[in-house]
Amino acid sequence: MTHYEFDDAGVVVIIGSGAGGGTLAHELTRRGVEVVLLEAGKHLTSEDFVNDEWGGYEMLSWLDKRTASGDWRVGRDHPVTPSWSCQVVGGTTTHWSGCCYRLIEDEMRARSVYGDIPGASLIDWPIALAELAPYYDLAEARMGVTRTNGLPGLPANNNFKVMYAGATALGLNASTGRQAINSIPYDGRPATIQDGFTVTGDKVGSRWSTLNVEIPRALATGKLELRPQSRAVFIEHDAAGRACGVVYVDAAGTRQRQKARAVVLAGNCVESSRLLLHSASGMFPQGLANSHGNVGRYYLRHIIQTVWSVFDKPVNMHRGEIMTGMIDDFVRHDPARGFAGGYYVELNSMGLPTTAAFLDPGWWGRDFAGVIEQYAHMAGMLLSGEDMPQAGNRITLNDELDAFGVSVANIHYDEHPNDLKMRSHGYKTMSAIHQAAGAKRSVEAPAYPASHNLGSNRMSARAEDGVLDGHGRSHEVPNLFIADGSAFATGGACNPTLTIVALAIRQAEFMAGRMAAGDL
Amino acid sequence: MTGIKAHKDPKLAPPPDVAEGPEWEHTLALLDPHVAETLLSAARTLYPHDGLPERVYRRVILHFDRMAAHAPAAAQSFAEFVDRVDTAMPLPFRDLSESYRVSVLKGLEESAAFRLVQRSTVRFLYDDVEVWQAFGYEGASVHLGGYVARGFNDLDWLPDPPAGV
Repeated sequence: MTHYEFDDAGVVVIIGSGAGGGTLAHELTRRGVEVVLLEAGKHLTSEDFVNDEWGGYEMLSWLDKRTASGDWRVGRDHPVTPSWSCQVVGGTTTHWSGCCYRLIEDEMRARSVYGDIPGASLIDWPIALAELAPYYDLAEARMGVTRTNGLPGLPANNNFKVMYAGATALGLNASTGRQAINSIPYDGRPATIQDGFTVTGDKVGSRWSTLNVEIPRALATGKLELRPQSRAVFIEHDAAGRACGVVYVDAAGTRQRQKARAVVLAGNCVESSRLLLHSASGMFPQGLANSHGNVGRYYLRHIIQTVWSVFDKPVNMHRGEIMTGMIDDFVRHDPARGFAGGYYVELNSMGLPTTAAFLDPGWWGRDFAGVIEQYAHMAGMLLSGEDMPQAGNRITLNDELDAFGVSVANIHYDEHPNDLKMRSHGYKTMSAIHQAAGAKRSVEAPAYPASHNLGSNRMSARAEDGVLDGHGRSHEVPNLFIADGSAFATGGACNPTLTIVALAIRQAEFMAGRMAAGDL
Repeated sequence: MTGIKAHKDPKLAPPPDVAEGPEWEHTLALLDPHVAETLLSAARTLYPHDGLPERVYRRVILHFDRMAAHAPAAAQSFAEFVDRVDTAMPLPFRDLSESYRVSVLKGLEESAAFRLVQRSTVRFLYDDVEVWQAFGYEGASVHLGGYVARGFNDLDWLPDPPAGV
C-alpha cells in the first residue's frame, strides 16, 4: 500500500470510511488526489463476519459511551447507546440493509413547502434536487441498485407476501423496492443467496459497501493510504484559520499527527459533531467551524418505529433479505394528514434475539412470552419518516472524558408535536396493513437506537443557519468538509445512505476541481 | 415444536453443557448457589416459557456468572437484586408462588438492578440456540447456502404477489 509521511501536507485526510468517507476516498483517488483515510475500527473481511445478531453487533458497533437527555423514549430504553453506528473499515455500510430511495423535491424545499412550523427550524437545502439528480444516477449505478440501470428487483420473500397482501387489500402500492443488493450478479459481486444477514457484515458480498467496493478500488489507484484502528481526536488549524492536520491515536495507542491540505469528517453524525466541538482553540473557542453555534444542533434521527404482528400460520420472516418491501403512498407531503413531511413503510425482519430485545424493551411476563413464542408466525414492518429539526435537539459535550481524552457526547432529543402525529399515523397504517392480511395481534414497537443520524452539521444557504455550504464545506474553514449524514439540511423520509453517497460523489468532483484550480 | 433445525454460526462457540442435577451450581465461578437459584427463579418469572427445559435458564445464569466475574458492578447489582427480592415478602423469593413473584418484580421495575437482570435475561435467553429451535428461528444460514433454496418464499397461505412487483 502507498505510504504518506506524517508531515506530507499535500494529502487530503478523511476521517471515517463509511458511505461518505469511503466513497469520497475512491472518488478523489481515482482523480489522482492523494488521500489518507483514518478509520477508528479494524479492517475485517468476509471471513471475519458471523451470521449471528449479537455476535455481529459486538464485532461491528461503535460502543463508546454516550449519554442521553430529552423526552425521547430511546433515551430511557437505551440511555448509554441512544445512537448507533459502526466502528470498522466500511463503517455502517458493513451493517446496512441496502434500501436506496431518493429525496424528493418537496423534502429538499422543506421550509418553503411545509411552511413555518412552530418549534421547528426548517430550512430549504442549499442545492436543488435537479443539481443532485445526476449524482443519484451515478450512485445508483455504482451501488447496483435494483430497479435502476436495468437491474431486476429482488424477489418477494415470505414477509413481503404478508405486506403485499395487506397493502393491496387497502389499495396501497407495495413493491419489493430498490436495494443495493444484487438480484443478479453485477460488478463482480454475486447475487444474494437470501441469507438474511446483511446486518452483521454480509459474508456473501452481494450487498454494496465501501468495504467491498469503494475502498479496494481506491487502494488500487495507488493514491490511498488506509489506516485502520486510527482514532481521530483533534483537528488542528493554522494561523490563517485553515485546517492543517489531524491528531489521532494509532493501533499501538501512540498519538500521531498527520498534516493535511484539506480535512474531511465522515465519522457519522455524533462523532463528526463531537470532534468539531472538541477541537476548540483560541481562534475557535466554541469548537471548529462553530462560530454560529450550530455544530451539533438540529440533530435528526428520523421517525423510526416498527410493527410486529402474529399470524395463525408460519411466516418465517428471518428467511431472506430483510428489507425488500416498500410502500410509498405516504412519502409526499400532504397537509390533509395533519402533519408535515412524509414516511416510507418498509419491510423489516429480525432474528429472534433482536426481536425479543427491541419488541418493547422493559416488557416482561406471560403476555410477552406468549407473543415471542410465536416468533415463526410473526411478520414485521418498519417506518422511516421525516422528523422536525429543532434547535434544542443537539449533540453536546459532557465533562466526562473518554479513554482518548475526548469528551463523552450527550444527545438531547425532544419529540416535536409533528413527530408524534406522524408516529401515530404510521402505527395505524402499519397495523392496518397487517390486520388486512389476517394478523391476530399487532405490537407497536418503539424506536431503537438511532441509526439514521442526520443534520447536526447541516448545510445551509446562509452561514447563520447551519455549518456547511452546498458542497459540504464549512462556511468558515475553507478546507474543512463533511461527508456524512450530519450534512443533511433536513432529514427527508428515506434511508439516508444513497443520498450520502451521491453527495460524496458530487463533493469529490468539487474538491478535485478546486484543487486543479489551485485554491484548495 | 416447529420442526425446524436451528444453527449457530459455526465460527462461534456452542452453548456450554449444563448438568441436569443440582451439581450444575458447581460450575459457577462467582455466584453462590442461593444467588444463582434466585436469579434463575427471577428469569423464569420474567420470561415464563413452560415448554422450555430448566437448562436454558441455567445457561442464562452461567452468563450472569460470567458478567459478575468480569464486572464487580454487575456482581453488586445481582447481589442487591437478590437481597431486595428476598426481603420484599415474608418468604424468600424462590419459595413464593408465581403471582407473588410477579408482584415483587413489579415493585422493583424502576431499579437499576431490576433493569440489569431483565435486560440481561432477554439478551441471553433468546440468544440460546435451543430456544431458537423451540420458537422456530433457524439462525445462521450462509454456511448452508442461505435460504434461497430453503424456503425464503415458501409461504403458501396467501396469494403470491405478481411477478416483478
